[in-house]
Amino acid sequence: MAMQSGTALQEKVSRMLSKNQKKPLLKPNKPLVLKDEVANRKMNKGEATCVTEMSMMMACWKQNNFVDALCSNEMQSFYKCVEKAQIAKKGKSEQHTIGQGGRLAPKQVNTLLKRHPTLQTEI
Amino acid sequence: VSASSIGRLVMLFLVRWSRYNPYYLEPEPRKELYNMPETELTTEQKEERELKAVRPIKATTNSTTSSVFNDPVLSKFVNMMMRDGEKILARGILTQTLESLKRKQVEKYHKAPQGKKAEIECNPYAIFHQALENCMPVIGLASIQKGGKFYQVPVPLTDNRRRFLAMKWMITECRDNKNRRTLMYEKLSQELLAAYSKEGNVIKRKHELHKMAESNRAYAHYRWW
Repeated sequence: MAMQSGTALQEKVSRMLSKNQKKPLLKPNKPLVLKDEVANRKMNKGEATCVTEMSMMMACWKQNNFVDALCSNEMQSFYKCVEKAQIAKKGKSEQHTIGQGGRLAPKQVNTLLKRHPTLQTEI
Repeated sequence: VSASSIGRLVMLFLVRWSRYNPYYLEPEPRKELYNMPETELTTEQKEERELKAVRPIKATTNSTTSSVFNDPVLSKFVNMMMRDGEKILARGILTQTLESLKRKQVEKYHKAPQGKKAEIECNPYAIFHQALENCMPVIGLASIQKGGKFYQVPVPLTDNRRRFLAMKWMITECRDNKNRRTLMYEKLSQELLAAYSKEGNVIKRKHELHKMAESNRAYAHYRWW
């Protein structure tokens, strides 16, 4: 079944390359071979953390003309928020490397592909 | 194991900056951790001790000691001041700075009236640490590209980065805005005292960074972390 679909694809590709029937649709300058690695990409784009704390701190600064001693409460809460965000980020990245919700992570795919690369020479 | 002197060829194998095998453990120079009795250790620390009996340990740098005077912040400051590998000169400047800080403060102490004597801080290490803390910025700016243009986005900084910026500002300020005839330790002690009382150019630079961040607070959402 897989072989049949494989040969069908190969026939389609060779038809696209051939100059016999129509103008060739593909003119590849490199051989049509897949790479042994996958692009590293992150699907979910994150958002800015601790924006509320930051804006509160900046409002306090504006009021007190940037004197730090009067804004210590806001600064402490900002630091705590930043710490929590860092811990959350670490936990999330750990979870990322372990499991990817049905798919493998790009790093894991790359290690697998490295173990079984495309054959360069005939065995 | 130490280099014989500056200028002569070092006749030993420099191991620290080659890539250690990952199973080498970090060295622990602090004495208190070794003096703790068996009962006070947590399970993690007990595991660490068992691991240390089996695994090899990396060599420490020359500047780490187990003495009471070993201060990682001060060592970092000395390394940042050092030029061309002249550690002796940099460390000498730092000791002279601490000495001049002490002298100035003791002079102030003796001249002060009885009521004010308790407020004057004479410990130069305490002054150094407090001055550095007063110079550390709370928030930094990062250059983020969005839609072809670069925006200066306010960004929270890690503690290491803040400490580095405070030290860097201090050193560059003392190097650049120095009179030709004043020595480095003199200028450093002046700046440190000013920073301790929250005045001076370094504090001004910190405030300018805060003002820039405050004016750019609209771009805070361009961050993605």
